Amino acid sequence: MQKLVEFFQTAPVDPQQAGQLLWLIILLPLIGAFVSGVFGKVLGRANTHLVAVGAVFGSFLLSLIVFWTINDYRAMAMTPFGSVNYAVGADFGTWFSAGTFKVTFGLFADHLSGSMLLVITGVGFLIHLYSTEYMSHDDGYWRFFAYLNLFVAAMLTLVLGDSLPLLFVGWEGVGMCSYLLIGFWYTDPAKAYAGRKAFITNRIGDFGFLVGSFIMVLALEAAMKMPADVSSKLGRPGLEGSSVLARLSDGAKQKGPLSVSVLEEGSKVFASLLDDKIPSGPLEGMTFGRVLTIALLLFLLGAAGKSAQIPLYVWLPDAMAGPTPVSALIHAATMVTSGIYLFCRISWLAVLSPTAMATIALIGGATALIAALIAFSQKGLKKVLAYSTVSQLGLMFLGIGAGAFWAAFLHVVTHAFFKACLFLGAGSVMHGNGDEEDITKLGNLRKEMPTTWATFLVATLAITGIFPLSGFFSKDAILHAAHTNSIPQVEWALHVAYVLGVITAGCTAFYMMRMYFVAFEYPRSKEAKTPHAHESSWHMTLPLVVLAVLSVVALVHGLPIMKPEGRNTIQTLMENFLDPVFRTTQENLAKRQFLVIPAEEHVPYGAYIQAWVIAITGGGLAFFLYMRVFPSRAGQPLNPTLDAVRRFSFNKFYVDEVYQLLVIRPIGVVSRVLWRVVDSILIDGVAVRGTAWVTQRTGAVLRYLQTGDAQAYAAIMALGLAGALVWILQRYVP
Amino acid sequence: MNSIYDSRMLNLVIFSPLLVAALVMFMPKTEKAQIRGVTLLGMLLNLLTCVWAWTRFVPKSPVEFQMEYRLAWIDELGLSYHIGVDGLAMTLVLLTGVLGPLVVLACWTFIDERVKEFHLALLVLQTALLGAVCSLDVLLFYVFFEAMLIPMYLLIGVWGSEERQMAATKFFLYTLVGSLLMLVALLGVYFIAAPAGQRSFDYATLYNGLMSLNREVAACTAAGDCNNISAGAHALYRWGPLMFIAFSIAFAIKVPMFPVHTWLPDAHVQAPVAGSMILAGVMLKMGTFGFWRFAVPLFPGAARQYQLPISILAVIGIVYGALMCLAQKDIKKLIAYSSVSHLGYCMLGMFAFTGEGATGSAYQMLNHGVSTGALFLLFGFLYERRHARLMADYGGIAKVMPIFTAFFLVVTFSSIAVPGTNGFVGEFLVLLGTFKSNLPMVIGVLATTCVILGAAYMLWMVQKVFFGTVTHQENLGLKDLNRREIIAAIPLLALIAIMGLRPQPFLDMLNPSTERFLARAQYASGKTDATTEDSKVRVMVRQLPAKVAVADAAPAQPPMPRFLPTGRLMPAAAALNPTP
Repeated sequence: MQKLVEFFQTAPVDPQQAGQLLWLIILLPLIGAFVSGVFGKVLGRANTHLVAVGAVFGSFLLSLIVFWTINDYRAMAMTPFGSVNYAVGADFGTWFSAGTFKVTFGLFADHLSGSMLLVITGVGFLIHLYSTEYMSHDDGYWRFFAYLNLFVAAMLTLVLGDSLPLLFVGWEGVGMCSYLLIGFWYTDPAKAYAGRKAFITNRIGDFGFLVGSFIMVLALEAAMKMPADVSSKLGRPGLEGSSVLARLSDGAKQKGPLSVSVLEEGSKVFASLLDDKIPSGPLEGMTFGRVLTIALLLFLLGAAGKSAQIPLYVWLPDAMAGPTPVSALIHAATMVTSGIYLFCRISWLAVLSPTAMATIALIGGATALIAALIAFSQKGLKKVLAYSTVSQLGLMFLGIGAGAFWAAFLHVVTHAFFKACLFLGAGSVMHGNGDEEDITKLGNLRKEMPTTWATFLVATLAITGIFPLSGFFSKDAILHAAHTNSIPQVEWALHVAYVLGVITAGCTAFYMMRMYFVAFEYPRSKEAKTPHAHESSWHMTLPLVVLAVLSVVALVHGLPIMKPEGRNTIQTLMENFLDPVFRTTQENLAKRQFLVIPAEEHVPYGAYIQAWVIAITGGGLAFFLYMRVFPSRAGQPLNPTLDAVRRFSFNKFYVDEVYQLLVIRPIGVVSRVLWRVVDSILIDGVAVRGTAWVTQRTGAVLRYLQTGDAQAYAAIMALGLAGALVWILQRYVP
Repeated sequence: MNSIYDSRMLNLVIFSPLLVAALVMFMPKTEKAQIRGVTLLGMLLNLLTCVWAWTRFVPKSPVEFQMEYRLAWIDELGLSYHIGVDGLAMTLVLLTGVLGPLVVLACWTFIDERVKEFHLALLVLQTALLGAVCSLDVLLFYVFFEAMLIPMYLLIGVWGSEERQMAATKFFLYTLVGSLLMLVALLGVYFIAAPAGQRSFDYATLYNGLMSLNREVAACTAAGDCNNISAGAHALYRWGPLMFIAFSIAFAIKVPMFPVHTWLPDAHVQAPVAGSMILAGVMLKMGTFGFWRFAVPLFPGAARQYQLPISILAVIGIVYGALMCLAQKDIKKLIAYSSVSHLGYCMLGMFAFTGEGATGSAYQMLNHGVSTGALFLLFGFLYERRHARLMADYGGIAKVMPIFTAFFLVVTFSSIAVPGTNGFVGEFLVLLGTFKSNLPMVIGVLATTCVILGAAYMLWMVQKVFFGTVTHQENLGLKDLNRREIIAAIPLLALIAIMGLRPQPFLDMLNPSTERFLARAQYASGKTDATTEDSKVRVMVRQLPAKVAVADAAPAQPPMPRFLPTGRLMPAAAALNPTP
């Protein structure tokens, strides 16, 4: 056993050199995208499959090597402020620099991004494999694989980039690929519209991200310019207070102010300066604490766009217009979790603002509940899953806000497995049932599609939170944190968020089981498109099985089995594994105590039982209603009040309509009015043509003066002379 | 530096199109293919000279204006033929050079009437554009600046669409109003900058003369008493802001800034594809370039004073232009209004007076040339096939023209500044620079909202034109791009990727110019120390060799009068190099 652990903790390659591999991980799918996109038609279907799937598989192997390497204690990434343990990194030169700003092509993999690497390339590979069968009848296969590979490359850039601008490359890149893939079947205007809606909603988030980044630059520069008398506050063990700011500005010169390492170092400085006012510059007069809160809320807007949180969640359900593998990869497993990744990445900043933390928790809780309520009445298989994704993402944000970054990230990982499995299962169902996705028009799938059924059931139980599947541990970890942690300045926020989370957990169990019963256990519907469903081929079922196994096995990460040395606490595997990532976060927390996280000394059996009871109750209620009550009442009309509630939920609380009315229409009206009134009439009509008109008129009037009548000319001349004479006489003759 | 080739390089850059034009002039009208071929070759040759000049340019050199060439012209007025480029001008020269051959390719089949005249106009226009960018004599700049109006007027008025005459006249009058104002201000500067006898239209004379006066004005304004200053300084104090406004109006019309932008949509809509490409690609940059080279450095005090109003107009332009796009039905008009929005970024970045903003602004000028040039180029291909400009006339084009759609999408993403394309680098730097500047933060925030609006209008247009099903029967038969068209589009697509992923070589070219621009803009505000900074901002150029008759008056210079057969003076290249 000891030998085995040692084996896995010894890097297979030289840990100093592993950083050089990172760019290859991104390059492979990029090449795949280029080859499939440009030559895919010439190469033919099979070769394109080989290139696209091979590229991602190659990336996966490289990611494994990197992941293995960062388990080695010798693996170190160099930053301007020293080295980071359990990480590898490399800098490939300047991207752009101007003024005092700089961005480098720096890549960085630690335990956080390393885990994401495996999820992206691993799940990505399975979904590529699945797609070779799923898209086997589509002529646009080359386009599809090009986009999908490009997406993987962008997502890898997002997690590997060691500065916010580089992260933003991936951030927008995945948005762009998502746009292309949602609108993949562009001949349907609704699908093209869904893609556009996704992109523009994401862009609203990106606006927040950009402004947040700019404000961080300003805050860092303000910190560097702080007068010398604050330096007494900045000292840290082993570091003179006076040298801290100099170190920071050296680092900013070397790596650029928005590099993650510089921001991390900056967060340590901010932690001491939160109540200081900024003496000069664009942020003059504000305290650092307030600036940080503003920046974090802007980042939250960015994350809300990408990760489908209130108020920007509306794009994700529509995004299901894309091919199902896309929904599984982009809109469940990877892209939509980038908001959570972002906050894990900058967790050391987040914990410096209790306001931001409370807001994140509340936004997350509210999103989780609202999405779950909408999911209650949806009929489309993918629609239910989409709202369930929004809801689960909300839970992850709740975890972030409660300060349980590791728990949120654990849920990212487990959710990637079981939600991908669910989506692919849904795809398999649609593939075998003539593209039918209305759950009421399916039925009896348990018998007709046994493999799909088995994997779907496992994944459903996992998301429902049935012990001992992985979803149970990750969801419980979040809720438990929301329960025990507290934000002293806004005590109530986490209480409210916790209640929202618990209700959501019950709802999740209910709507997931409802979907499962109706689609799989009900007798075959008479409206089904095909009398019998056919099970899919191994290309599709193999990924399902692997993902189902993973959604069970991932429970290991949630087991509280680690006992850190010298502390009388107990940690889960994931918490222990991510410990190096959140070192600075803990330092900052210890310094400011904005968040109180009680140490866990025993395994929280009570919380486990509570979570289990909630899941069983929700699921049991669904079973009772859908397997017992409704079938026996078949044909009877629904209670009108209940029906109204159902319709309200089915129409997604009319949020889209409200946005249409309050935001989109007014902008359209304003732009048309401005064009017709200001541009066409005021500027072009009155000012420009008006000038021309006045000139013309003046000319026309003056024309009458030029009569050619010599007598009139002579008379005017005489009058003029006389006038001049009078004037001269008056002036010069006293 | 300063080999005999280098000092004459720019002459070749500027006048090679004109030489080809002379050649074309003697070709028979009916040989259309030959005319096109020769023009294309000429443009390629011109591009070659531009690239050559680019490789000879040393960004890190302390010499600001490189590859200088100066020749006496009208001594009595202090007018000389003086050309040279700094980093910004060099990049604009390259941009112009790149667009030249593409424009010819774009119109290969589109223009079939008056082919000879069309290509002559293109070649003359190319010379005028390059000349304006390279001029170091302000009057020479003015001559080129005006000269480019005529071929462009013809391009729009003769080869344009239905309402071409109205658009051409509007374009001409609009710009002329600005130019005349500029001429008046120019004469004012000429008289203020130097005492009688030493007056000159040379950029160095004007700038250096005004610089000391600006210092004086700044000092007296700071002291609060401007009654006892020299006559020149007093004139500047009194008339400087007015002259700045005159310059600003002239260039703002060219940019165009809100509210003097209304000529642009008409001109773009009516112009043939070549006209639109050059107009958007290079000609609009004359406005921003004018601000950069003349309006701001000559009147730094006034530029500071009017920083806020101009920034507000710029940000109105950004948001307003984007909103206008949302209201358009005509694709060309939409692209035209998006130009208003994008050029707003250039102006905002410049008037942020920060390193990031100014560099971003300069980079954005190039980006806009590439992206919007490419948009017009690609739309030109579609227009040639269908002769329709309304979005409603299209729909479902992706199915019939897949390559074209792919190209158009790439350019769209560049236009809405997706990271990885060129647009992102410029926009990011401009916005960051605005946030870092002394401008109110709301200006930066408003400008950033256009990342949303930009995506909204461009993707809306893309959906209307390319997605959905084919709604018009006549669109079903459209042919995808042919080889010539692909060749015309590829260079711009490549530039989009290169400038997005490796912007640093371009930024290295621009950064020294930015530093000088900023130093000059800051200088007169009196914040900097006079003794150390003076040499940094002073414009150093090659002096005209003294004439034999007055050679004694300048004994410091080695005797080197070299008469050309015509009696004109040749510059002595090596000896007259400004000492760094």
